[in-house]
Amino acid sequence: MFQILKQTNIDFMSRRKVYLAFSGLLMIISLAMLGVKWLNMGIEFTGGTEMQVKYVASPDLSDIRTALKGAGLGNPVVTTIGDTDLHEVYIRLGVKAEDGKEGDLTSRVMGALHTTADKANHDSGMVNLNETNQEALQLKLRAAPLLTDDEADALAASISVYRRENAVIGSYEELDGLAGMTPGAMEYLRNQMFIGQFALRSQSFIGPAIGAELLEKAMWAVLGSLAGVLLYIGIRFQFQWGVAALAALFHDTVITLGLFSLFNQQMSLPVVAAFLTLIGYSVNDTVVVFDRIRENLRLRGNQKLVDVVNKSLNQTLSRTVITSGSTWFVVVGLWILGGEALRPFAFVLTIGVIVGTYSSICIASPVLVMWREAILRKKVGGGARNS
Amino acid sequence: MSGSKLPLKFAIIAAVIVLAAWYVYPPGENINLGLDLRGGAHILMQVDTDSALNYEMELTQSRIGQALKDEGITYDAIVPKGTSGLELRGADPTREEDIRELLQDYVGGWDLSNLGNASYSMVMPTSVRNYITTAAIETTLSTLRNRVDGLGVREPIIQKQGLQGDRILIQLPGVEDISQVKDILQDPAVLEWKEVTYPPGTVDTGTWLAPQSMEGLLAVFGGTLPADTEVFEQVILSEDGTVTTRLFWPLKRVSVVVGNDLKNARRGNDQWGDANISFELSQDAGRRFGVATKENVGRKMAIVLGGTRSKEVISAPVIRSQIFDQGVIEGGFSIQDAENLALKLRSGSLPTQVDIIEERTVGPSLGLDSIKAGVMAALIGFIGVLIFMVIYYRFSGINAVVALTLNLLLVLGMMAAIGATLTLPGIAGLVLVVGMAVDSNVLIFERIREELRLGKTVRSAVDQGFGRAFLTIIDCNITTLVAAFFLFSYGTGPVKGFAVTLTIGLAASLFTAVFVSRQLFELVLGRGHRVEKLSI
Repeated sequence: MFQILKQTNIDFMSRRKVYLAFSGLLMIISLAMLGVKWLNMGIEFTGGTEMQVKYVASPDLSDIRTALKGAGLGNPVVTTIGDTDLHEVYIRLGVKAEDGKEGDLTSRVMGALHTTADKANHDSGMVNLNETNQEALQLKLRAAPLLTDDEADALAASISVYRRENAVIGSYEELDGLAGMTPGAMEYLRNQMFIGQFALRSQSFIGPAIGAELLEKAMWAVLGSLAGVLLYIGIRFQFQWGVAALAALFHDTVITLGLFSLFNQQMSLPVVAAFLTLIGYSVNDTVVVFDRIRENLRLRGNQKLVDVVNKSLNQTLSRTVITSGSTWFVVVGLWILGGEALRPFAFVLTIGVIVGTYSSICIASPVLVMWREAILRKKVGGGARNS
Repeated sequence: MSGSKLPLKFAIIAAVIVLAAWYVYPPGENINLGLDLRGGAHILMQVDTDSALNYEMELTQSRIGQALKDEGITYDAIVPKGTSGLELRGADPTREEDIRELLQDYVGGWDLSNLGNASYSMVMPTSVRNYITTAAIETTLSTLRNRVDGLGVREPIIQKQGLQGDRILIQLPGVEDISQVKDILQDPAVLEWKEVTYPPGTVDTGTWLAPQSMEGLLAVFGGTLPADTEVFEQVILSEDGTVTTRLFWPLKRVSVVVGNDLKNARRGNDQWGDANISFELSQDAGRRFGVATKENVGRKMAIVLGGTRSKEVISAPVIRSQIFDQGVIEGGFSIQDAENLALKLRSGSLPTQVDIIEERTVGPSLGLDSIKAGVMAALIGFIGVLIFMVIYYRFSGINAVVALTLNLLLVLGMMAAIGATLTLPGIAGLVLVVGMAVDSNVLIFERIREELRLGKTVRSAVDQGFGRAFLTIIDCNITTLVAAFFLFSYGTGPVKGFAVTLTIGLAASLFTAVFVSRQLFELVLGRGHRVEKLSI
């Protein structure tokens, strides 16, 4: 039998006050962090416009900022996304432009980002290969004297496929080997079209009203699922077990939020989903331990509660380590390989799986034990007796 | 567990596998990809139903004021009361009976009461409010639907959303250039009255109906339409909203009357009690209308509603006599139809405001990148877990591998079967499902190990392992489902996709980790001979 953990006999409970003090400290720090810095809210919650643009060559962020400021778009957030050699830029603006106009600002940003050369080309009727769509390209190519309509359509399709796969066309040389490309067609492309400096990869606009609404809904969803968990465990076990589980969940949520704020990750809808998953995951761990404690309590004879809990934690420890380990492995994989869009989501779960595993051992069970002890002490009139 | 039932259970498992595989294959076609993966535009529009209600209130206020004047009844003022009520103050106390009748005529459906002191209160009841709101939304929805159809996008989605149903979601797969689409969608709807160009030699102009196809229309005109004529479609819907007939009307390019010329339109009754629609034009438009209707007595005039790009004929009544600024449209309408048409005319003259409150466009290249990265991460995670299970649990690990693989197949199969959409967070959900589904296997296997350590036989260790872990697994899954439920009810678009994937995955893991995995153990244990050792 291959085992990561041999049969263990760790006395978790003797150090319960240390865990609670440690976690309490972490939670205070996290809350302070949130109090000072709050969260980097994405446009889904604040409203505004954001977009992702891929440049042909390495972009100069300060030039972009200057251009946007010049276009009356205020002080937008402009950062690179991913590896710098991908030349990807993230731009985020508020709901209103400086002139007070509210709404989607994408077209104004695009207008501001175009270089003078690109603008001149565009104004002279040339087609921007990095912005045109397949239909427009088709129409333009059909007008080429050397191409039949079928050839034009085929070439338009292969250029579109190239752009779909590479996001942006860097130079005419890149298009050389494409299906349907002929020297004549290339000549036509060079004369009638131009390669713009960037391509728009994605764009979002969220109105201010819907942003506030989504934020409110997100809070209700988190509170609702916490209450749902309390209710379910209250029914399946007892109310105090539910509260102990809830304490662990609250702990996980607060500490993960604190770290989320510390690392300046951006809050978005999928991140809220990650938090709800974290709640589901962490309670999962707690339930496994609780189930075992309950089972052992039925057979306990004259063992102390603390010993029963310790035994249960040790019995479930290898399962906890294996499951958390494998889940952690997949979420870390998601973090590293899953791409930019999923990174904040994976961040929450990467932290959350660790915190959640810790809390089911070191928060939920100690809270349960201490509560029951407190009740017992009350019953026997302040006598310091363990159950 | 008796061996004799084993074949049946394996038949069930085989059937599930075949069914899932049949739904999934080929995956590229059968799994719906969300816009964040396939690229496209997502637009959420808010119908401003308040503007429709306000307009209705203002209109009613002025209509009653006008009617009182016409009847020679003096009054001090008509003032708005709250958001949905009017109050008539200081009305001639000697004409109480006339006032009651007049109010009954104009706002009969409202809650009317005599406040004493020659004052009357009129409150728009919820039913009327709801009706106006619904009508405003429906009109907007059908206008938008027509326009989206005109875009020629494949598989567009247009649906109502939100608690009040006053939001309209439009999803356009593959559309990248959103600025053009937005122009089209936000194009205000305008109402126009146009003269019909009759085919040469038409005698019975009052009953002439437009042909049901473009070819048919060209045929009656002998191949070409006159230069001053444009074709507009009329879509006739049956009661359940399906298109029954399309008529192709040849209409004059230049309109006689346009939207803002219409001052009012309302449902009324003719002398036989049939419902009709009476309308009122501005003075200036009334003069133009007088000239046009004089020439067109006995002929039809079409009412066209739409934006600058797509227009639709909503009605084509016959002109019975010259009309100036006040007219009546008759046509054997039901009360409901008359009410609807009046509303369409009114909302056409002042289109219900529609605002874009959310929009997202994902270019196909970004979607492709996301798919690549997401699928890669999912595969690595999945394979990593499988390898671990085999190393750690040996032979029983293979059992888990089968269960996990089947789990993945089942999730994809169910998603294909119910037409769920796979989004980028949904791919993350798949990854998580792998992590969580393995938990059920681990719980069971660890329990079996424990029982073996206690010196139990393989047979009873397996039985106890499954039996004792079962309740725990149920508890775990339900608590996670609680979170998934809130996720689903809260989520929009991609997040909903995540909740769906998670929920399906958990349900599938119950089947695979508990049922399938058990049968695989039985395969080894249930052959009648005693098994002394279990590789776990």
